[in-house]
Amino acid sequence: MSFLVPAAAFLALTLPAIVALYFLRIRRPTRIVPALNLWPDQIRDRQANVPWQRLRFSWLLLLQLLGAAILVAAAVQPTLSAGTSLARHSVVLLDVSASMQAHDVKPSRLDEAKNEIGGLIDQLGPQDRMTLIAVDSTPRIIASVVGDRQALHRALDATNATNGQADLSAALTLAAGLVRPGDDARAYVFSDGIVGPLRTDSTNALPFPAEYHRVGVSGENVGLTSLVVRTEAQSRAGYLHLQNFGQQARSFSLEWRADGRLVDVRPLTLAGGQAEDLVLPVPTGATLVSAHITAGDVFALDDTVTAVARAPRAFRVLLVTPGNVFMEQALRVRTDLQLDVVAPAAYKSSAAYAMTIFDRFSPKSLPNGPFIMIDPPAGTPLAGGSAVGIGRTSATDAGDPLLTNVDLRDVHIARSQDLRTSSFGRPLITSLQTPLVLVRDEPFRQALFGFDLHESDLPLRIAFPILVENLSEWMLPPSVPSHSFHPDEAVTIVPETGATSVTVIRPDGSRGTLATSSIATFGDTDLTGLYTVEQLVSGNVDRSWFTVNLFSEQISQLKPADRLTLPPVNTSATTHALHRGQLEIWPWIALVALGIVVVEWLAFHRGL
Amino acid sequence: MAALLDPPLLRRLEALALQVRRAVNGQMGGERRSNARGRSVEFADFRNYTPGDDFRLIDWNAYARLDRYMLRLFVAEQELPLSIFVDLSGSMDWGNPNKALTAKRLAGAIAYVALAALDRVRLTVFAEGPTSGGAPYRGRRAVAELFSRLQSFPVGGQTDYARLVWPIGKQRPGMTVLISDGLGETSIDSAIAALGRARQEGAVLQLLAPQEIAPDWTGDARLRDSETGVEREFTSTPVTQGAYLEALSHRMHEIESSAHRRGLRYARLSTDQPIEDMVLRTLRKLGLLS
Repeated sequence: MSFLVPAAAFLALTLPAIVALYFLRIRRPTRIVPALNLWPDQIRDRQANVPWQRLRFSWLLLLQLLGAAILVAAAVQPTLSAGTSLARHSVVLLDVSASMQAHDVKPSRLDEAKNEIGGLIDQLGPQDRMTLIAVDSTPRIIASVVGDRQALHRALDATNATNGQADLSAALTLAAGLVRPGDDARAYVFSDGIVGPLRTDSTNALPFPAEYHRVGVSGENVGLTSLVVRTEAQSRAGYLHLQNFGQQARSFSLEWRADGRLVDVRPLTLAGGQAEDLVLPVPTGATLVSAHITAGDVFALDDTVTAVARAPRAFRVLLVTPGNVFMEQALRVRTDLQLDVVAPAAYKSSAAYAMTIFDRFSPKSLPNGPFIMIDPPAGTPLAGGSAVGIGRTSATDAGDPLLTNVDLRDVHIARSQDLRTSSFGRPLITSLQTPLVLVRDEPFRQALFGFDLHESDLPLRIAFPILVENLSEWMLPPSVPSHSFHPDEAVTIVPETGATSVTVIRPDGSRGTLATSSIATFGDTDLTGLYTVEQLVSGNVDRSWFTVNLFSEQISQLKPADRLTLPPVNTSATTHALHRGQLEIWPWIALVALGIVVVEWLAFHRGL
Repeated sequence: MAALLDPPLLRRLEALALQVRRAVNGQMGGERRSNARGRSVEFADFRNYTPGDDFRLIDWNAYARLDRYMLRLFVAEQELPLSIFVDLSGSMDWGNPNKALTAKRLAGAIAYVALAALDRVRLTVFAEGPTSGGAPYRGRRAVAELFSRLQSFPVGGQTDYARLVWPIGKQRPGMTVLISDGLGETSIDSAIAALGRARQEGAVLQLLAPQEIAPDWTGDARLRDSETGVEREFTSTPVTQGAYLEALSHRMHEIESSAHRRGLRYARLSTDQPIEDMVLRTLRKLGLLS
């Protein structure tokens, strides 16, 4: 046991003071009464009646001394050693991501974690400090190196769950930045372990040890993890994927709605771990479809999904080629492209095409717009140097969004023009010998392939249609993308030509206004549901939609991780001198003192 | 006089009369039926019949007209000797309203009723011993003198009820009213017993202050007896206050029992009760006035 305010022990002087008061004759006001003989001679030795009288036993005196002693004991604020080991600086990382909304523990995983952290806060000693970090897709500090327990409690109480995924690596990096060399620090991760990829290599070593406190017990959940609307045989249909992530079979009903009207209700039964794909009809003219299950599970965020049903606006695309079935097929994968194919001899420049692909052909004047130039003939403006043999291919930047899901490991290219001296743009795909694909944003989004697709096995790889899809979407982004986004994912919105205002209406009805002069990024997408984009063009309101859904099997599986592999600890960076947390017991002692005072009051009024 | 009793109250008191249970003999003519056969006088007035009056004097014609018993005042009547003993000891100089002042006003009111009816009034105040209020008063002209005398008596001293035995005993047959708080070192029982022995229409009016009927304080205090000056340390708690109230109740019950046992009227009055209420309601209900 230790004492937080040992100086308060001087209050123990009140005990002899009480006894002294008992000895000393009290000053009583004089009251004249008509007949003293009526008043009982019942004065007790609560106080002295003569100065310095002999101390006699009195229950009241005993209770007063006891009450005073207990109050002094409360005043010095004794503490007991708690079970938790604390460093001087505790860095608490609270997972507030979507999966923490699960209520397999009551009232929810987040509330359970907050309760545990609250207990940790209560154990902080006067020299201890704590930093609270809320961990979601964008970790943020909610209390920085604070010793005030009330402030910590307030910050903790004000923290709510979000719909994003926890980026624990970023949170740890953030925490590491708060710890100075030599600090006695320790991190406590309160999470269900459902977090984004963790970088656990030594380069991300932490300057403090970290503990993982698991929250949550069950993974019993049925979730809707995908919904897309596609055109098939002139009709549109919704493709829904749902899965029982739990161990127990579940029976439930699925409601399928179009623009809020109920279209179909299907009873379903899924065994433990079973997944099912459903094809659901989309009524003609429907703008929005949604699916909802009433599985009665512990996680509601993946029980409702929405998708935009309206077909996106089509772009006209021209492919100028002596013959390239690979490119033609790759372009037709995208349903919102209306593709025309012409031979080089028949090419005429036209402003009707939003994008042009020149395959082994270069016009005399390049179009003012997006294009892809493939293996331009020698002597043309974009042609590179003489052909060189190519070895392995690789991405210039593996994180380039244009190469998302593009696997170049098994791609081979016989030869390519030497683009090392080309000033076309930045390299996207390269080799040891020369850059192979260049891209540029100015004056328009354009791409240059230095090699003939037929002299490569790239068209035979799955990477090819993906690369073409990525490039075409980059060059011809829809004004408003109609597919689903994840929570907190940024949405790129290209204002229509002549739009005078762009407003995004969130699922909760709140509005956000975007600039109309340039491509805008809307990042306020933490809520799941339908987002409506209203653009005012020539006095008319042009509406388009996009949706935000959880669509994360990693989150929907819900099962909390028993262990979390955290980055290694750089022991040389800091000191670790753990001490036990402190459990303050003075409120209980004060409560006992209050009880004693009440007993003393009762005893006094009962004439003891 | 105005300070003692208000003129409106005096006017209302004129309609009252002392009520005796048996006939009395006075020295002078009055309005009371007397055992002595007096000379007849001419008709003077009517007045209300009160029990104790000679029913033969009732004017039956007036009764037939008014449905009220009226007495024809032409017969010889004798006065009612009224003696008032007022306790002005130290214990009476207490309370709010003050008990001594209230006792003086009450005595004045009763005396006024008697004087208005041509009864004879003898006033005696007492504390350590009895002090005569002077020669007997008679007639309305004596009201001012009686009131002035009543107001002039000082208040204080220790009550000695035993010293009332002799002056009470020597009273001529009539009515005697004893106004006191009944408190003190000695018991009032000796005075009540003397009153019972005398051939008196006696009444004991015990006057207390509301603060002693229900003490309004708690805590530590040094109690000082208003008469003896004796002091005692005391702590007032619900328990000790309960013991005091029990002792007070016992004392009041003793006085009441003693009075009733001796055929005396007894009333307990509180000083927060208006004089009008005491006289017009309590004393009429007691049968002392009508």
